[in-house]
Amino acid sequence: MSISQATLSQEAGDRSGSEFRRGIMSCTPVLLGTIPYALVLGAQATQKGLRVVELSAMTGLNFAGGSEFAAIQLWTSPPHILLIVAITFLVNSRHLLMGAALAPFLRHLPRRKVFPALFFMCDESWALGLADARQRASDGIGPAFSLRYYMGAALAMYLAWVAFTTLGAMLGPVLGNVEPYGFDMAFPAVFLVLMRGMWKGFAAARPWLVSLVVAALVYLFVPGAWYVAAGALSGLIAAYVLAGDA
Amino acid sequence: MIDPATLFTIVLMAGVTYLTRIGGYVVLRNRTLSARATAVMEAAPGCVLISVIAPDFVSKNPADLAALAITVLAATRLPMLPTVLIGVGAAGLLRHFMA
Repeated sequence: MSISQATLSQEAGDRSGSEFRRGIMSCTPVLLGTIPYALVLGAQATQKGLRVVELSAMTGLNFAGGSEFAAIQLWTSPPHILLIVAITFLVNSRHLLMGAALAPFLRHLPRRKVFPALFFMCDESWALGLADARQRASDGIGPAFSLRYYMGAALAMYLAWVAFTTLGAMLGPVLGNVEPYGFDMAFPAVFLVLMRGMWKGFAAARPWLVSLVVAALVYLFVPGAWYVAAGALSGLIAAYVLAGDA
Repeated sequence: MIDPATLFTIVLMAGVTYLTRIGGYVVLRNRTLSARATAVMEAAPGCVLISVIAPDFVSKNPADLAALAITVLAATRLPMLPTVLIGVGAAGLLRHFMA
């Protein structure tokens, strides 16, 4: 038993440790599912010229897979800093909604605990934490949000993500240039599966189609990486306009 | 050692990502977002992801287009790992046999 675990069990009996473990157990199935694309991300990063320590720094500090895939795909040496940062913000803008949805359950917690906890908020830990809080609220357990349950899930996701992206980066050079074997198709595959997870019907996906068409046209007729910004922006405008008839 | 431009980019990425994580809690928690704002925010990640891979959809290589079609089909019904394996396998085989 580590020192921190010993302190926790003195403070709150055996329940806090078991709450943490419960969080780890709940997230294990999704955690296992992320391992393949953590490996793909790491391996692809080294193909783009990133060192292992650079990739680990990115996944460890940023910890948001979708934006890391987009950044690696667009990576050049030296990187287009503004493009990559803007794309990172857009891919992760959904966190704003996620944090707002979680906020009512965080009222009983001091900000010194909330701010570090939010650093580890990813799609998986957010979904598990929120679902658990709603369940406990309907069961009449207070406080509804279990910080230790959430942190168990969040830290397990974090450690697995950083460890397996790093492992992928270490394996990348061993594999060498695998493009002729179709390895580059892993990226569209990952992106498409991520988008399937965000799918909410054809009407909601119309902005995606606008993005695809505009990005493809700009890619064909304008040199450079403008197609990403043009595609993303036109999709957002389409979402804004189309929301009017919903 | 870490390349300074790379480190700078990574730190900025981490900064804007952390702002999105605390922004909803700090700024939006006591507000109701308009339906439009919610729709835009929900569409944003998909718009970016599809834009990044848009060049694959207008490839001039028929083998790549066929492999992409297979990957799209796989992504609509299979989990991550099989989809990646099917996509990579299809691209490798079709490039080899259609060249």
